[in-house]
Amino acid sequence: MRILVTGAGGFLGSVLVRKLLERGQRDIRCLVRSPNRLDQLNSTVALRPDARVEIMTGNLSRSEDAARAVADVDTIFHLASAMGGGAPDMFLNTVVGSRNLLDAVGDRPLRIVLVSSFGVYGVAGLRRGAVVDEHTPLEAHPERRDIYSHTKLRQELLFLEYQNKLGFELVIMRPGVIYGPGMAGHFSARVGLPLFGVFLHLGGGNKLPLTYVENCADAIITAGLASDAAGHVYNVHDDDLPTSRQYLKRYKREVKKIRSVRVPYAALKLVSRLVERYHRYSKGQLPAIFTPYKTASLWAGNRFDNRVLKATGWTQQISTDEGLSRTFTYFRESAKK
Amino acid sequence: MAGDMSLKVAVVGCGKIADGHVEEIGKIEGARVVAVCDLEPIMAEQLAVRYGIPAYYSDLARLLEREKPDVVHITTPPQSHVRLGMLAVDAGCHLYMEKPLAPTAADARNLIDYVQSHGRKMTINYWVNFDPVGLALSKLLKEGVLGEPVHVESALGYNLSGAFGDALLRDVKHWVHGLPGKLFQNVLDHILNKVALVLPDETTKTMVAGYRLRPDSNIAARDSLLDELRVLMQGERVSAYCTLSSHTRPVTHSLRVYGTLNTVHVDYNHRTIQMEAAQDLPSAIGRLVPPFQQGWRLLRNGRRNVGQFLHNEYHYFAGMNTLITSFYRSIREDAPLPIPYADILRVSGWMDEIFRQIPQSGDSVLSGRAQ
Repeated sequence: MRILVTGAGGFLGSVLVRKLLERGQRDIRCLVRSPNRLDQLNSTVALRPDARVEIMTGNLSRSEDAARAVADVDTIFHLASAMGGGAPDMFLNTVVGSRNLLDAVGDRPLRIVLVSSFGVYGVAGLRRGAVVDEHTPLEAHPERRDIYSHTKLRQELLFLEYQNKLGFELVIMRPGVIYGPGMAGHFSARVGLPLFGVFLHLGGGNKLPLTYVENCADAIITAGLASDAAGHVYNVHDDDLPTSRQYLKRYKREVKKIRSVRVPYAALKLVSRLVERYHRYSKGQLPAIFTPYKTASLWAGNRFDNRVLKATGWTQQISTDEGLSRTFTYFRESAKK
Repeated sequence: MAGDMSLKVAVVGCGKIADGHVEEIGKIEGARVVAVCDLEPIMAEQLAVRYGIPAYYSDLARLLEREKPDVVHITTPPQSHVRLGMLAVDAGCHLYMEKPLAPTAADARNLIDYVQSHGRKMTINYWVNFDPVGLALSKLLKEGVLGEPVHVESALGYNLSGAFGDALLRDVKHWVHGLPGKLFQNVLDHILNKVALVLPDETTKTMVAGYRLRPDSNIAARDSLLDELRVLMQGERVSAYCTLSSHTRPVTHSLRVYGTLNTVHVDYNHRTIQMEAAQDLPSAIGRLVPPFQQGWRLLRNGRRNVGQFLHNEYHYFAGMNTLITSFYRSIREDAPLPIPYADILRVSGWMDEIFRQIPQSGDSVLSGRAQ
């Protein structure tokens, strides 16, 4: 079986490639956007001289690159996605790139494992503490959410539309917050945001839907390659989820002291209303960082359920305690460099 | 144009700057964006969905036929500006163009001639000159407070680590690499359009130095893109010195105009405009007082900025809003254009000469000579 991994040079992608090799896959094409910063991927490949691992540089926003990438592959793990930048950039790199990939696949009978996101769920209307699982409705107002969630939802809808039209096997994985050594920032927005030198702690006692990068890669491979997974959606997060408060407390103890201010949810809702009102009144003089809709989506607090994922046979290999320990050690060591 | 003088606007090209256009048009009374267009339908769709615009297209001809806009904002890469602009003019539209207007001065002249011969109007997004400090500078020049301009220094920093810089360095097929002046051409308007306020000569003696300070990447197409530019221009009575730097920090955006009566410094990033304090007191006192005068003037700038903020006049693209409003007024009331065509053509001509002196298709080495 020949596998294509898009976004193979990224935080999750490089771990996924290693895990595929560890599980005996020997024919992998890694699509990366930039030939730079491939240290981790290169060292992984060097450990498996018996495997055929092709590292291909390309940009899915160009259809010719997409066509090169999908040529002669049987299974695609589609991870490539914009993690930041302006809205047009993110749509170009996430949604247009996906469309080009799908056009290049055409009606070939292969399997695509799409790595989507928790961000596609419409949780603003849920009561606090409601369980988010695979049956939670998709976001109905993506334009009111953050751009990342908007692009991931549009991407997922595109895959569903093409799957319906072309009939390939589609498996959708929706990870929560992927964390681990090498992650870009130290905090998910679910924990809080830095503002003028102070960290606004917004998550409080909310559970964080964390998935340690190795566990996440395991889950994507286990479910993605399961023979009966086609047409299914899997939420991906670990067990023993910490609260936002526990994450921040441990970060302060194991990484560094930071000044933080706890903002209770009721106060945050009020501030969000004021910020949105001022944004409208001033015709956008300051950005609407907080709105009641965004606040309800990110910080109201939900519970999570990974039973569907576990039914595939996936088990958490790295405990949350160990995952946090490794991650915080990485943060600490990185700060010294 | 609609009888009620309400303008129907279309935006063509749904990349980064299109967001700014749509937002600013949305704040202008008597104007509304009726449709957006991009060759890539997903890009057109995302802009329409995010801003609640009723229609989106991937074909400009179809948009023009169905929506019949009065004004078209063209925010596509410059290589397509002339073709799209003429198409829109043929449909009876006025044009609001993104900079740079066209790859060459000849193309720019062709488009302006075409617009004029069809009785339409056009302007270009030189919005910084319409920011509050830009307008304050124009007022000083108009009132002769500086006397006769003698020299101007225009400087702009560019952060290649930013989202746009990173994208074009990573992607050697990015449209910027296809421009004769590459990165310089995409940003040089913002330097030269300020020079054009005081330097009236169409041709000048021009000396150019362009080079690359980035280390080799061993990718020829990427390494041929220069990132530091110095230009010395000498007109009949006014000279100019231009700096475009990708490596100096903080990233600057400033102008200094030296006149026979006064000298003024404009900082566009911090929105300050400050006349140089003259040393007109005797002996040591003459050196003691000016720093306090400068401090007082900065304080007044700060106070004015706070006032503008409190009155909701301190938006990021305040200048673009003023310029678009002024252009729309020019259309509705047949008033003079906010930017004379002669200024636009002068900038285009200067750019041609600068890029002629530092071709960027091969090895990037320090080069420069007088015209």
